[in-house]
Amino acid sequence: MPLDEYDKIAHLLRRAGFTAHPDEVDVAAARGLQATVEDLLNFERFPDVPPDPEILAALDLPQSEFDQMRGNFLDKLTRWWLHAMVTTSRPLQEKMVLFWHGLFATSVAGLEFWQQIYLQNENFRGNFDPDTGQLLRPAPGNPFPVGNFRRMLEYLSKDPAMLYWLDNQFNVKKNSEVGSNENYARELHELFSMGVEDVVAKVPNYTERDIRQASRALTGWRVFPRATGFTFPRVFAFDPMRHDFGPYDHLGKRGGTNADFIFENIVRHRNPGQKQSAVGRFLGYRLFKFFGYEDPEPEVINALADVFDGANGEEPFNIRNMLRTIFTPGNLVSEAFYSERAFRAHVKSPTEYVVSLVRLLTFDRATGRPDGLSSSSNLMRLLRNGMIQMGQQLFAPPDVSGWREGLAWISTTSVLSRFNFANDLLAVPVAQGGIDVTRLIAQMGLQEAMQQRRYGDVVDLLARLLWQIPPSPDAREALITYLQAPSTGVRESDLVNVKIRGLIHLMLAVPDFQLS
Amino acid sequence: MTKTTRREFIKKSGMTVLSVGLGSQAFWRHVRAASESVLTQAAALSPADRILVVIQMDGGNDGLNTVIPVSGAAASLYRQYRPTLAIPEANVLPIGTDAAGTLVGFHPNLQPLQDLYAQGRVAVIQSVGYPNPNRSHFASQDIWHTADPEGRKRTGWLGDYLDLAFPSAENPLLAVSLAGARLPLTLRAEHVLVPAVGSVANYQFRTQPPGDHQNKMQAFLALNRETASDHVLREQIRLAALDTYESVQMLQSGIQRYTADPAITYNSQNPLARALQQVAQILAANLGTRILYVSIGGFDTHQGQATPHATLLSRLSEAVAVFYTDLVRLGLDDRVLMMTWSEFGRKVVENGNGGTDHGTVGPQFLIGTRVKGGIVGEHPSLRAEDLNPGLGDPKFSARAIDFRSTYATILEKWFLVDSREILGGAFELLDIIRA
Repeated sequence: MPLDEYDKIAHLLRRAGFTAHPDEVDVAAARGLQATVEDLLNFERFPDVPPDPEILAALDLPQSEFDQMRGNFLDKLTRWWLHAMVTTSRPLQEKMVLFWHGLFATSVAGLEFWQQIYLQNENFRGNFDPDTGQLLRPAPGNPFPVGNFRRMLEYLSKDPAMLYWLDNQFNVKKNSEVGSNENYARELHELFSMGVEDVVAKVPNYTERDIRQASRALTGWRVFPRATGFTFPRVFAFDPMRHDFGPYDHLGKRGGTNADFIFENIVRHRNPGQKQSAVGRFLGYRLFKFFGYEDPEPEVINALADVFDGANGEEPFNIRNMLRTIFTPGNLVSEAFYSERAFRAHVKSPTEYVVSLVRLLTFDRATGRPDGLSSSSNLMRLLRNGMIQMGQQLFAPPDVSGWREGLAWISTTSVLSRFNFANDLLAVPVAQGGIDVTRLIAQMGLQEAMQQRRYGDVVDLLARLLWQIPPSPDAREALITYLQAPSTGVRESDLVNVKIRGLIHLMLAVPDFQLS
Repeated sequence: MTKTTRREFIKKSGMTVLSVGLGSQAFWRHVRAASESVLTQAAALSPADRILVVIQMDGGNDGLNTVIPVSGAAASLYRQYRPTLAIPEANVLPIGTDAAGTLVGFHPNLQPLQDLYAQGRVAVIQSVGYPNPNRSHFASQDIWHTADPEGRKRTGWLGDYLDLAFPSAENPLLAVSLAGARLPLTLRAEHVLVPAVGSVANYQFRTQPPGDHQNKMQAFLALNRETASDHVLREQIRLAALDTYESVQMLQSGIQRYTADPAITYNSQNPLARALQQVAQILAANLGTRILYVSIGGFDTHQGQATPHATLLSRLSEAVAVFYTDLVRLGLDDRVLMMTWSEFGRKVVENGNGGTDHGTVGPQFLIGTRVKGGIVGEHPSLRAEDLNPGLGDPKFSARAIDFRSTYATILEKWFLVDSREILGGAFELLDIIRA
């Protein structure tokens, strides 16, 4: 059964962003699917989230002082990003920053200067210039988050956190076979651009020698330890004394004097007999897996790779064009995206889980936006701690290959941690960071419905808010039974509040809310 | 989804008490044909009775100050390289002579472990590591967790064992980690879900207010007992929720079967002792748990190492000894094997800060009633030619022992399975377990 227009729009908002409040779906439906897609894609039309003055101030602290508060810094940074994801007017931008953080996974666990992880996050937003170390909104020339991938590889390779994380700052000229440290060159091929094998043809994309040769081209890439005006290393530096000027043998070509040769070879690399590039397929696979479903069909991957390659005359290597293909109805890829197979077939990561629930529960119907949130609130602290229990600490992925997504998020530990997190969120008083359900009760008319014992209506209304699908008859029955069941020790005047909180808790803990 | 059919039946028919023996058919399939004789000898202890407790020493334990050379070239070089950190010979607790004729002994704070050693309950495996040692905590721990020196595997060696031996995995408590909220990679499997139980007391569904708890849990169960849908992901999440519910019930009701013995005191100031007491509680509950995982951190002793390292060794040996005593009391000692590991040893040469830096090989302990006590292998040679040039840590020499030999021995001789598929090859077996 094909999705109807309402389902399509709700699906699009959930995936290209974090959630679909029924009011937002109504607004988007009035605007139309096509126009909604363009609004999401051209997010520059809408205001960006502001930087946090406290975070900016911390960047100027002397290192010894910073190190004493770096745990707080990371906490603050995480809350700032979560707050941005909940409140943003540019949901697709935040989703893409999260995508790059998972793909180019960098952890503070491997960093000496934790400030660099903030610069990397701004780099992924397009707001950092590695050549000057400056934060600019936006930084001219920075291709992130949806621009030219060929240039992204350059901005990624110059990123201070990345230069520290994968040791490329130590990579110096060695001999005509290899640089002194091949760690970054390896991950550049294996994890960041094409993968060991062609995603479709399943043939090796490169040889060990290609990696060794690429490591030569990446020698002499460093970070100025002390650039004027900065308290920690944040300016990219090219050191010709440490650099191996080639020529290099890389992916079947010989030549080059620097890493431009390597980046160019990577993005254009095609395996023999293959119409699509290896990188186009890899990114097509990763993007569709992130926004659509696991294990996309080869035709879907190839169609996205064609867009990457510019096979139809479009500008090559452009990520926004690939996203447009996924979301705009009327092509093979978007047919897969809006298919029944894709519908509610994505397991929410802990980030998606907490962001979606907070956005839905703090949504003010009067203003059409989440309301009453601040990045310094206890609520954001609850989110951050809850996510650690659920196994996802932003800025600290388990290793360079990022988090295992999809069903890997589901374990007995995650079931329990999500259940308990939802309980705490709804049990904690508003003053201590809990959710204010009073407004929600008022705006949804739940008080009257409860008093008139229209329990089925209450369940339906909250299912529409939280699940965006009608409850199954069994689920509806179980939830009505819960609302009717007497609870001991609860004052009559608190009963509606207690039962609505309990109902929301249950609805956040069951399978329907784990899926998007 | 055929795998879930049986569980469906169990869950729908309300039979929430699970039989431990369900996986044994599959288990026996994997028992090597060649191990017939081993099986006969081990008849007194069925495979389903065998339990492994893994003790991780997180941070890179200084093996040279744990098992200390007392005689020969190693002893004099040890004292020479460690002017401030060497343990005075008079304080070392001698345990015996290794294969190379070097007399070795324990750090003085390992007295409780030496008592167990004297009873033949401890095997000391010397110079354990792997070729081309990685000196990053992160990378080397992953190598030990996955048994893959390439560091490419995403599942752990014991996770692989669980998948292989328990393909239908009906018991949600086949393995339990008591090492924090994050599941150690060792136990990560493709199919078997292993709970990371931070602490048994906190492994519960929290609900507020208390007066509504029963209502909520009934609703939660009902919502997850819904008619099976053909939505595969939703089914998987639903089954994980039921598994969780069962594991919480089993654990919370099970541990009440454990009663503490006033004569056996787990030191509440010792985190490892607290964790091992919870292991004892789970084992006493007889829930069919086969693997338990605990961890003790702080071994990354780059500066001022003497006191903190001594404290850690004292915690380790005290916790292991009291746990063993409790196992004897509970009549479980025969069934439990303990294995310690640490991601690497430390450099021979002490650094300028009264500490030691990341090194290579180190000792492992195997502890239990069924252990064949003694010293296996040789103390690392500290001669200049046997150290990595410029790095000051022992080479992984031909006399060193690959950690996968320890794993292979546990898999083959304790769990009675073919280790080759799990470890990606055959490794020499060690004579450390009594049949």
